[in-house]
Amino acid sequence: MTSPQSGSSGVSTPGEPRSVSEELSGRRIPIGEYLFAALAAGIGIYVLIAANYIRIPISSNTLGPRSFPYLVGALLLCAGIAVFIGVRRGRLGEAEEGEDVDSSVATDWVTVAKLVAFFTAHAFLIEFIGWPIAAALLFAGAAWSLGAQRLRWAIPIALALAFTIYFLFGRLLGLSLPAGPLLDWMPFF
Amino acid sequence: MDNFAQLMAGFATALQPEYLLYAFFGVVIGTAVGVLPGIGPAMTVALLLPITYTLNPTAALIVFAGIYYGGMYGGSTTSILLNTPGESASIVTALEGNKMAKMGRGAAALATAAIGSFVAASVATVGLTLVAPILARWAVTLGPPDYFALMIVAFTTVGALMGKSVSRGMLSLGLGLFLGLVGTEVLTGQQRFTGGVPVLADGIDVVLIAVGLFAVGESLYVASRLKSGPVSLIPVTKGWRNWMSKEDWALSWRPWLRGTAIGFPIGTIPAGGADVATFLSYAAEKRLAKKGRKNVFGKGAIEGVAGPEAANNAAAAGVLVPLLTLGLPTTATAAIILSAFQSYGIQPGPLLFQNQSALVWALIASLYIGNIMLLVLNLPLVGIWVKVLQVPRPYLYAGILLFAALGAFSMNSTISMC
Repeated sequence: MTSPQSGSSGVSTPGEPRSVSEELSGRRIPIGEYLFAALAAGIGIYVLIAANYIRIPISSNTLGPRSFPYLVGALLLCAGIAVFIGVRRGRLGEAEEGEDVDSSVATDWVTVAKLVAFFTAHAFLIEFIGWPIAAALLFAGAAWSLGAQRLRWAIPIALALAFTIYFLFGRLLGLSLPAGPLLDWMPFF
Repeated sequence: MDNFAQLMAGFATALQPEYLLYAFFGVVIGTAVGVLPGIGPAMTVALLLPITYTLNPTAALIVFAGIYYGGMYGGSTTSILLNTPGESASIVTALEGNKMAKMGRGAAALATAAIGSFVAASVATVGLTLVAPILARWAVTLGPPDYFALMIVAFTTVGALMGKSVSRGMLSLGLGLFLGLVGTEVLTGQQRFTGGVPVLADGIDVVLIAVGLFAVGESLYVASRLKSGPVSLIPVTKGWRNWMSKEDWALSWRPWLRGTAIGFPIGTIPAGGADVATFLSYAAEKRLAKKGRKNVFGKGAIEGVAGPEAANNAAAAGVLVPLLTLGLPTTATAAIILSAFQSYGIQPGPLLFQNQSALVWALIASLYIGNIMLLVLNLPLVGIWVKVLQVPRPYLYAGILLFAALGAFSMNSTISMC
């Protein structure tokens, strides 16, 4: 049942075996998966140790304030070890399926780094250039990072969206979004 | 006052023009979000949480209920037209629905999904109305130890049964519990697991976690492996009035009811979730099909769309039963709606029906109203939702990131960096 419409697009049927990605991940060592399991186990150990420093009030009963953290720490440690062993035996995590996700390609770290950079920049810039402009920058930057075509549209769209949100949520609904020194002198901000 | 009178009072509240508008807003956003790839109802509610702090609790919860129900309707559209289910609960719909669309029967598939969703959600909401107060009355008699035990059962079953790997589920559960431990202890005032960082003294807000996980995390993940090229859509025929033939109706109505009967009870138990219900319903329809219809399954059987879609929506209503009466969230969206309640100082649980009865019944009444709105919205407007699908992906995810930043920032309007 393949129709010409879906044949060339790379849209895959759910449930269909993903041979390409399986081959890819089968060959190399899944460092990320090991790291994740180790990190979880590490947090578990931290919780177990830090729980010892919780002061127990004199009024406490049989189950003191340390019991639950002990339970959580033990759970994390055991689950982390279990996942680690699972990965050793070849039980890898399954990539989440989604409409826009192409699970057969390798991770594009450059795009991720660009997005993280724009997001962090946005957080720091709000104070200096105000929310609307920082938001427009985030939107245009993210659209550029993700490969938007017709980039000269990105900036007008970003500005329009940012100011619409600013007036809708900031002015009408009363969220405190700072206009910033660049716009503060204008009477309607 | 008995339950019926209280429900009527709830309708009186929910039918006020202001609240009708909020319900409408909720279902429109919910459907749009269900149709849009990459955004689920959990993410939308998380993104809108900080923004609704300025609304009164009833209005906010009506909006969230609308989003919740709307998202369930919208999810089927992408499954049928794009063969790409946005969430696990609409995988089954894609199986038969997309085959139907390829044969040019996409309109019938969409119609049976929408009407089936309406039937199921209406019946299940009646179920919620009847079951919830009884369960709440029973739950009042439970003490803290019973609750602790109940939560352990609920969370371990959810952790173990969601997804395919038990160890990974337990690991996620542990990570979540650890994040909950961070903060200042109420009785003695000592700080726990904050590492001496002052911003962590108030604990980690669940909205931040939700926005970080569902919005930022999801966007980064999609960005790392974004599909290139245009989205391939199967066009829908015009004229929604003759979408379903007499035969389609005859084949659909039993699956709708069976799907509802399967979905609602499964939704009410912890770890049920909507996806289990859809698979069960599909299996049931396949088994019950008459000789001549049996081999149509896998090639575009309308029963395979009608049943699971009904089960999906009935389960969504079922999930609200433990949420409202026991305060136990069994899906991601329910967990975020729970935190919405808590942000207004309202604790869902057995006492909710006594202390906040006006609010709860207005919420339940708005579910009935939202359902009718969704049917009216979805049948004629499928063409518009299909257009929504064609938003260029870079702009879509840029917008999600922007809203995520807005949500995190507007929580307390300060930037906390450690």
